[in-house]
Amino acid sequence: MRRQFLKSAVAAAALVAALGMGAPATAQDAAAFYKDSVIKWIVPYDPGGGYDEYSRMIIPYFEKYTGARVDIVNMPGSGGMKGAVEIFNSPTDGLTVGIINGSAMVTNELAEIEGANYKVADYNFLGRMVADQRVMVASVQSGIKNFEDLRDNGKTEIIGATGLGGSTYVDAVIVGEVLEIDEKVVHGFDRSGDIRTAMLRGDVQTMWGSLGSALKGIQDGEHVVILHGEKSPTGILEGIPSIYDIANAMENGAERVKILESWEALSAVGRPVAAPPGVPEDRLAFLRNAFEQAMNDPEFVKGAVETERDLSFASGEQMNAIAKAATDLTPEVKEMFVKAIRGEI
Amino acid sequence: MTIIEGMISGFFQSISLAVFPYLFVGSIFGLIIGVIPGLSGHFAMAMAVTFLYSMEPAAGIAFILGAHATVAQGGGLTAILFSTPGTGQNAATLLDGPAMRDKGEAGIAVGAAMASCFLGATFGAVVLALLIPVMQHVVLFFGPPEVFVLAFLALTFVAVLGKEDMTRSLIAALLGLLMAMIGVDNVTNTHRFTFGSENLADGLQLVPVVLGLFAVAEMIDLWQRGGSLAKGVPQALSAKDTQAQIFKGIGLAFKNWWLVIRCSAIGTTMGLIPGLGSAPAAFVAYGHAKQSSPDKDTFGHGNVKGIIGPESANDAVEGGALASTIAFGIPGSSSMAILLSGLFVLGLETGPQMLTRNVDIVFVMIFTIIIGNLIGTIVGMFLVNPLSRATSIRASVMVPVLMAIIATGAFAGERAIFDIGVAIVFGILGYLMKVLNYSRAALLIGFVLGFAVEKNLYLALLLDGPFFIAQPIPLGLTLVTVAFLGWNVWTIYRDRKRVIPRDPRN
Repeated sequence: MRRQFLKSAVAAAALVAALGMGAPATAQDAAAFYKDSVIKWIVPYDPGGGYDEYSRMIIPYFEKYTGARVDIVNMPGSGGMKGAVEIFNSPTDGLTVGIINGSAMVTNELAEIEGANYKVADYNFLGRMVADQRVMVASVQSGIKNFEDLRDNGKTEIIGATGLGGSTYVDAVIVGEVLEIDEKVVHGFDRSGDIRTAMLRGDVQTMWGSLGSALKGIQDGEHVVILHGEKSPTGILEGIPSIYDIANAMENGAERVKILESWEALSAVGRPVAAPPGVPEDRLAFLRNAFEQAMNDPEFVKGAVETERDLSFASGEQMNAIAKAATDLTPEVKEMFVKAIRGEI
Repeated sequence: MTIIEGMISGFFQSISLAVFPYLFVGSIFGLIIGVIPGLSGHFAMAMAVTFLYSMEPAAGIAFILGAHATVAQGGGLTAILFSTPGTGQNAATLLDGPAMRDKGEAGIAVGAAMASCFLGATFGAVVLALLIPVMQHVVLFFGPPEVFVLAFLALTFVAVLGKEDMTRSLIAALLGLLMAMIGVDNVTNTHRFTFGSENLADGLQLVPVVLGLFAVAEMIDLWQRGGSLAKGVPQALSAKDTQAQIFKGIGLAFKNWWLVIRCSAIGTTMGLIPGLGSAPAAFVAYGHAKQSSPDKDTFGHGNVKGIIGPESANDAVEGGALASTIAFGIPGSSSMAILLSGLFVLGLETGPQMLTRNVDIVFVMIFTIIIGNLIGTIVGMFLVNPLSRATSIRASVMVPVLMAIIATGAFAGERAIFDIGVAIVFGILGYLMKVLNYSRAALLIGFVLGFAVEKNLYLALLLDGPFFIAQPIPLGLTLVTVAFLGWNVWTIYRDRKRVIPRDPRN
């Protein structure tokens, strides 16, 4: 018994020594470190949701390029903040990563919502899986076919939204404020599907959302896109005016565009995969490289196309810049955003 | 593809070698998950979704929906044999199931429950098939004002149906509503009743609350009493007797076919309404079975109709819930939300496209529900004996084992130690309520409906102003609620007048 204890103590000491004295870390060391180790991948929402599905889609390929086993841990709570905080505070050994709802985490951080105990700009991002293209749709029943209808029909439009601080809400309030839309934002719906029913019933006329989730309603002929946030629209958005076109045509266009660009920076954060601050550089570089390879694996891309899952990769370095841009706002814009997020506009 | 072609194609796909094995495995999986207290339909489906990535659409649907279809059946077994709802939707079965077990009629209760589940599910599936063309219009009648008022109708049913007295049930129901308010308010982001605890920020989770109120409370009670779960039965029934009882129970379900159809109709209708789900449907069906029965007094003391009602309703719900999920891609419950994500994984789209292009898949769903429940019924019959024997085990052995399972179940949903604490706190509360004759079911149902009530009240006020209640459907439902409550208050008043004069003479 005692001997065994001594043995393991010696082994542990040797291990500590080996780790401590290690020669300058190299990519090979990192590869050896990850080979056959276990990476914890935190999903801050329930199984079956979008974040969960994206994670389960990429993980086989992430395993392929890291050589590690990746275990998903679903950690729902506080609108995704619980999982984000867990990632932020996890050990810095590079064995914990996770996907986060980047845009919502930024808005919660800006508004200093209780439980937002993280700094988005301080995460070590491995890269981004997807960022939403934001669009505003109107129901066919409302008779609104384009932005002119919305602006000139003399009615106060009712816009459906989910919770306070959610992207459907923040989009509606900020864009509405900047473009001086005559609107009333009704929030409190559970999901965007809930708002869709309300649009069918005629309770609300319009909503903001991601193009990905709006696509079905558009194809089914229930919704029409009347606004979007793309500077160079492609596909289905081609020919529809963007918020920038509208803002430019208004008085003080440049100022309005500046606010809208900050808003765009918010959505650009999208759904990144993050590691906590303080992960050793060689391991971070290795993980970033593996993530990039996984995202570009032809079979993975093919699977995403088949299941109609959008992808928009951004590298870890790009993500750090995007996150910084989203949190680094001028005082006036920040004040406006915080008001919007807290429901004070 | 016409509907008839779709139906034929759907049927042959369901029984083909490429699909049926998945359906079979899924059904057994769901049954086992249902039997384990605390692991719910969501759990079964969430687990199943992870297997879907490499499956063909029909096989995937059969697997995930098969697992979902039999959960309520497994849960009914546990409710009857262990006084513990295997899942939330079986809570109504607790009112009469354990009482029948105590009378030595566990086999009859199980047989009736199994057969009712199957009949209810079949009813729901048939209605789903019939309703598909008109679905869209029906669901659209129910907006925030309608759902808000309907929730109160359900609460009124709950308060009246219990074996406990109405006042205490109302207190419990309102306490349940209050408990649903715990956590961050979805509308204003205000922390309510969280006492600064992050653990409470998301509110109380349903699974540990259910486990606490019913399972833990039962364990405390059992530990107090000693002995075994089956009070009146010193020894387990022989296998032969149990089988005989099961067939008698199945016969009783068929004999009460009219009740089955009415309760299934309640279940399917409530399934159509997003957010209500199967637990309230089971309670409303129980209330209906009791109200419409000549022998009201025996309800709560082991009346088989008290099992047939809720068990046929809680499986009939699926047909309705599925209808709105398929028609709009708008899930009516969390299980349906998971199913929907499963459909996405399989590359299927809901909405008009599914009804025209993939109508065979819709019929695969319909046949899966029917066949899955049939498998559940047959396999469940063989599970009864080993399980009912387990009810004769001594409390000193049983309680620790079940507590371990309960603790695991409470932990499993969110992987939170905190939830085990929630289960224990609610266990103590549940035990006190049981001793003091407060309705635990009313508390649970208030808790479940709390979210729907608050959200829809808020939206109704924002959208239609304070007079939303004056619209036709809300007004009609309000009148029904008031009339129902008024009539029951009046009967209590009348009975009291009748009873009181007699008392002095005794």
